[in-house]
Amino acid sequence: MDPEQVDEFVMCYLKKKGFNSAAKRLEEVLHQNNGSSFSSIDYHNDPELTKLIRSFSQSEDDPTRYREGYSKLRSWAYNSLDLYKHELLRVMYPVFIHCYMDLVGKGHTQEARAFFNSFRKDHEMIHIRDLQKLEGVLAPSHLEEMEFARSLRQSKVNIKICQYSYDLLLQYLHRTESTLMLGIINEHINFQVYSGQPNSASDDIEAVTIVGSFQDTANHINQKEIQWGLLEDSLEDRLEKTGGLLSDSEKGQGESKDGDMDDSSKKRSTEIGKQGSSIKKLKKDKAGNATAKVARQETSMVSLAPRVKPELALPVMSTDVEQSILEDLRNRVQLSSVAMPSVSFYTFLNTHNGLNCASISHDGSLVAGGFSDSSVKVWDMAKIGQAGSCALQGENDTNDQIVGPNGRRNYTLLLGHSGPVYSATFSPPGDFVLSSSADTTIRLWSTKLNANLVCYKGHNYPVWDVQFSPFGHYFASCSHDRTARIWSMDRIQPLRIMAGHLSDVDCVQWHPNCNYIATGSSDKTVRLWDVQTGECVRIFIGHRSMVLSLAMSPDGKYMASGDEDGTIMMWDLSTARCITPLMGHNSCVWSLSYSGEGSLLASGSADCTVKLWDVTSSTKLTKAEEKNGNSNRLRSLRTFPTKSTPVHALRFSRRNLLFAAGALSKPAS
Amino acid sequence: MSIVPKETIEVIAQSIGITNLLPEAALMLAPDVEYRVREIMQEAIKCMRHSKRTTLTASDVDGALNLRNLEPIYGFASGGPFRFRKAIGHRDLFYTDDREVDFKDVIEAPLPKAPLDTEVVCHWLAIEGVQPAIPENAPLEVIRAPAENKIHEQKDGPLIDVRLPVKHVLSRELQLYFQKIAELAMSKSNPALFKEALVSLASDSGLHPLVPYFTNFIADEVSRGLNDFVLLFNLMHIVRSLLQNPHIHIEPYLHQLMPSVVTCLVSRKLGNRFSDNHWELRDFTANLVALILKRFGNTYITLQSRLTKTLVNALLDPKKALTQHYGAIQGLAALGHNVVRLLILSNLEPYLSLLEPELDAEKQKNQIKSYEAWRVYGALLRAAGLCVHDRLKIFPNLPSPSPSFLHKGKGRIIKTEPLKRKLNVDSSENRSPQKRLITTDGLQSQHDSGLAPMQEDKPAGNENPPQNSVQPSSSEQTSDASESERRNARGKEGGKGRRAITKKAILDQIWKDDLDSGRLLLKLYQLYGERVLPFIPCTEMSVFI
Repeated sequence: MDPEQVDEFVMCYLKKKGFNSAAKRLEEVLHQNNGSSFSSIDYHNDPELTKLIRSFSQSEDDPTRYREGYSKLRSWAYNSLDLYKHELLRVMYPVFIHCYMDLVGKGHTQEARAFFNSFRKDHEMIHIRDLQKLEGVLAPSHLEEMEFARSLRQSKVNIKICQYSYDLLLQYLHRTESTLMLGIINEHINFQVYSGQPNSASDDIEAVTIVGSFQDTANHINQKEIQWGLLEDSLEDRLEKTGGLLSDSEKGQGESKDGDMDDSSKKRSTEIGKQGSSIKKLKKDKAGNATAKVARQETSMVSLAPRVKPELALPVMSTDVEQSILEDLRNRVQLSSVAMPSVSFYTFLNTHNGLNCASISHDGSLVAGGFSDSSVKVWDMAKIGQAGSCALQGENDTNDQIVGPNGRRNYTLLLGHSGPVYSATFSPPGDFVLSSSADTTIRLWSTKLNANLVCYKGHNYPVWDVQFSPFGHYFASCSHDRTARIWSMDRIQPLRIMAGHLSDVDCVQWHPNCNYIATGSSDKTVRLWDVQTGECVRIFIGHRSMVLSLAMSPDGKYMASGDEDGTIMMWDLSTARCITPLMGHNSCVWSLSYSGEGSLLASGSADCTVKLWDVTSSTKLTKAEEKNGNSNRLRSLRTFPTKSTPVHALRFSRRNLLFAAGALSKPAS
Repeated sequence: MSIVPKETIEVIAQSIGITNLLPEAALMLAPDVEYRVREIMQEAIKCMRHSKRTTLTASDVDGALNLRNLEPIYGFASGGPFRFRKAIGHRDLFYTDDREVDFKDVIEAPLPKAPLDTEVVCHWLAIEGVQPAIPENAPLEVIRAPAENKIHEQKDGPLIDVRLPVKHVLSRELQLYFQKIAELAMSKSNPALFKEALVSLASDSGLHPLVPYFTNFIADEVSRGLNDFVLLFNLMHIVRSLLQNPHIHIEPYLHQLMPSVVTCLVSRKLGNRFSDNHWELRDFTANLVALILKRFGNTYITLQSRLTKTLVNALLDPKKALTQHYGAIQGLAALGHNVVRLLILSNLEPYLSLLEPELDAEKQKNQIKSYEAWRVYGALLRAAGLCVHDRLKIFPNLPSPSPSFLHKGKGRIIKTEPLKRKLNVDSSENRSPQKRLITTDGLQSQHDSGLAPMQEDKPAGNENPPQNSVQPSSSEQTSDASESERRNARGKEGGKGRRAITKKAILDQIWKDDLDSGRLLLKLYQLYGERVLPFIPCTEMSVFI
C-alpha cells in the first residue's frame, strides 16, 4: 500500500469519526507537502475498505453491536452440530459476561442492562449466583471495585475445546467478520485445543466454574506433592498391635474378655448416659460386642493408607486418655451399606431462632451451642440423660422442661463474646471448647472450670469457623477476612496465616494426619493448605455455590464438601478431582461426617434430613466408570427426616454411633 | 435501567434535607444505590448462612452493615419476621405495618411471660438404620423418599402406628339435632314427628359429623333395648334413613351398624309383649340388609360372606328358636336368589323334616309355637318360590307375549319351541288348573290377573296369620309330604289328570332346558306340592289368561 493511500485512509477515518478539524489540518499538511490535489479514492465503491472503515468507526460508539454480535453468535452456536454444540455453548458464557462488562465499562448502562436481561436466561441454570453478583454492576467504577468482576476482567478463561469445534468457531467468526466477538474471545478466552472427539457434555465440571485466574494456578498448584497418608504410630496402629494380642488371648480367656466388654460397655453407656431405655442399651451393646472383632479387621482398611511423619510437634497424650480411646476403637461397630449406624439426635428447644451453631464432643456426651446473643452454652448429656430418662420413658413430652438437679438451668453458660457466636469445637478429650464469634475473636473455654481461659485476637472480621486438630492443642480458624489461620492453644498469635481465597473462608477442616487443613470458601472452591509451610497445595473447583461444610475420610485419601445448594462432592485429595457429586439434599448442607472406618458419609442439611451415603461404592464405581464410561448415580443409603429440625452438626463417635444436633425450627404445637 | 428509580433517590434526598438535588445526579446515584444494596444483601446472606438459617432477618442485615463498618439500622431487630403490607393501588409496593402505640398502654401492660430457657433433649433418630416411630421423629406418613430402599426400611422396622388424638368439634346445632332425634326415637310418643325426622335424616346434607354418634347410639340402644319393640323399629328406621341419605358416606361405619341390624333380624326375642309384631320388624330389617348389600356389597367385599355365614349358622342350628330361623330365612332371601338356591334350598329337605312336627297342630299343642312354625314355613316357601320364579324367568319363552313373535326369535327360542307348542296346545287346560289350584287352596277368591296368584300367596304366607293358621287344619291335616302326594292323587282322580301331566310336561321341559333348575323345581314340587306352583308360571300364565 503506498503512502498516499494510507493518508487517504486516515483522512476518511477522521472524517467518519467527525474529527473535522483534524481532518482539515491533515488535508492542509498534505497539500503543503506535495501540493498536488487531493486524489480521492472512491472508498464508497470499495466494499472491503468501507467495511473495514465502518468496523473501525462503529466499534467505538455503538452499543447495539454487542447485542447483534452476541445474538448472531448465539444463534449460530445453537444451530451448530449436536456433537459440538455443548463445547461451543461453553464459549457463550464468557462472551456474554464480557460483552456485558464491556458495555458497562463504556458507560452504556441502559443497553448493558437490556442486553443482560435478554440473554440472562441462557446461563441462569449454571451460573445463577455469578449472574446475581454481576447484575448489580452498573457503573464503570463498580467494575473496578468489585473483586469478582475485576478478577474476571483480568484473567482469561480456560476452555477445553476439540480441534473441530475450534475450527468451526474461528471459521464462523472470520466469515461473518464479527471482529467484536473475535476480539472478546481473543482477549478473555484461552482455548486448550485437543485433537479427537469432543468430550461428552456431562463431564465438563471444570468448564462450569469460571473463577478468575484460578484454572492456571490451580492446575499448577495441584501438581504439588502431598502426603495424604496417616501418621505413623497412630492409635489405630497401636490398636492393631494390641488387638492382635487380644485376639490371641481371646482363645484362652474368652469369658473374662466378655466380662471386660460388658464392663466397658456399661461404662460407656453411663458415659454417654443418654439412652432412654435399657433395652436400647442392650441392643446396642450386643451389636458392639458382635462386631467388635470384625471391626478390628476393618481397621486394616484404614491401616492400608501409607504412613507419614508428623510435621507438627504433637501434644503428648496422657495414658488414661489413650486407653479410653483405644477401648473405644476396639468396640467400634463396623458400618457398611448393610450395617447402618444408630443415630442419636440432640434437639435444641426454645432457641428462639438464636442457635447459630452446635457442636458435639468426640464421645457425644457434651453438646455446645453458639447463640446469636453472644453466649455459648454447654450441656452435659450424661447428666441430663440421667435426669431426663424418666421424662423420655414417661410422657414423651418434648415440651416438658427438664430442670437440672438444683432446680436451675442444666447447662453451663459461657459468656464472654460480644457478637454472635458462629462456631464452637471441642478438643478431642472434651476438656476444652473453642468458640469463634462475629467480634473477630476466638475464645478458649475450659469445661472443667467453666471459665474463659484465653481470647485469641488476630482476625479482622467475623470468624466463621474454628476447628480443633484431631490431636488437640492446635486449631484452625477461618474468617470473613479471606484468611484461614493456624493457632496453638498456648500462643495468642496465629502460627500461620493462609491467604489465597478470593472471598470469605466459610469452613475449615483438619486432615487426619494434621499436616494439612482444608478450607471451603464463598468463592466456590475448596483449598488444601500445608500447615507447615502455609502453602496452598490443592484447589478443588466444582462447586456452584458457597461451600459450607467439609469432612475428611479417616484414611486421609478423600474429602467431602457440601455447599449451599445441597450438593455434596467427594474429592480425591491426590488428584484434586471430584470423584462424584452426591445429589439429594435440596438445601444447605450444614454438616458432614465420615464414619470411623470411612465406609459411610453422613450429611445433615437445612432440609431437615440426615442422609447416609455409601462412600465405598461411590469410590469403587468410579473405577468402573473409568472403564465403561458409565454415568454416575445416586448412592444415598438412607434418609432420616427429622421433625422440622434442620441438622446443624453431626459426629460419628469413635464407636461409630452417629450423633446429630439441631434446633427445632418452629414451636411444637 | 436500574431497579431503583431516580424518583426514589430524589425522595431519599429530600428526606435527609437535600432539596436541590440535580436530576442528573439522581440518575447517576440510582445505579450506585442499587449496587450498594446488592452488596449489603450479599454480605447479609453470608451472615444468614453462618447463623445456619434459611430466612434472612434484620439482624443479618445489621451484621452485614457491621462488616462494612456502617451504622446498623435500629428498630428492626425484633427477631420475628416482618409483616409486609401491600400498598393499596400499587402493584409492587410494600411497607411494614408499624402501628402507633400508646406509651401508656405499653407501660401499663402486664409483663410478658419470660421466654422458656433453651434446653437440649435427646432421642433416637434411628436405631441401626431404622427410624423408630416415636413422637420425636417425623411421622412416618411424611416419609416419601424417592429412594426405594426407603420402603424396605419401613417394612423392616418394628412399626408402631402413632396416631395423634384428633379433636372432633361438633357444632351446637348438630348437638341439638342429635339430641332431638335420639329423644324422638326413645320416646315413641309422636310418630308423626318421628316420620318427619326420618325424612330429614334421609335428606339433610350436613349430618355427616353425626354419623359416628348415630351408629354409636344405635348400637347402644339395640343392645340395651331388645325388649322394646317400638324402639327397635324406630332405630331400624333411622338406619334406613341414614342409608338413604345421599350426602352421608356411611361405609366406614357399616361394620359398627351391621351387628345391630343383624340382631334385629335374628334375635330370639324382639319386644316383650305378645302384641309386638316382631315379624314385621324382621321383614323390615331383612329389606334393610338387602339394601345395604346392594349398595356396599361390591365395595365391602367381606360383608356378604360374613352376613351369610351368620345367618346360615342361625338357620341351621336346631337349638335356635323358630323366630330366629324366620329372621335368618328372611335375611337370606333378601340376599338374593343365588344365596337362597345355594344355602336354603340345599338345606331345605332336612330342615323341613325338622319343621314338620312343629307344623302339625296335633303334635304341637302350643299355639304360639305352631304359629311360629307356620310363619317359618311360609317364609321358606316364599324364599324358595321366589328363587324358582327367578330361575324360570330367565327362560325367554315364558313371559313371551305371543308365539308368532317368538317364531321370529333367536336360536334359543327356537330351541325351546316344542315346549311352546305344547303350551299352546294346552293353553286351555293350563288356565283351568290355575283357577282350580286357587280354588282348591281355598284361601282367596279367584282372580283373573295372572299375577294375582303370586300376590295372593304372599299375603297368605305373611300377612294373614289367622287364616294361615287355619289353613293347615282345614285343608292339610297330614304332613307335608303326604299332602303333596295326596294332592297329586286328588288331582288325578279329580279328572284333572291332564293338568298334572301338563305340569309334568312343563317340568320335564324345563328339566331338559336346564338340568339344575329342573331338578330344583321337581324337588320343590315334591316338598311343597302345589303351593309352589303359583311361583312357577305366573308371568307366563299372565300371557294366557
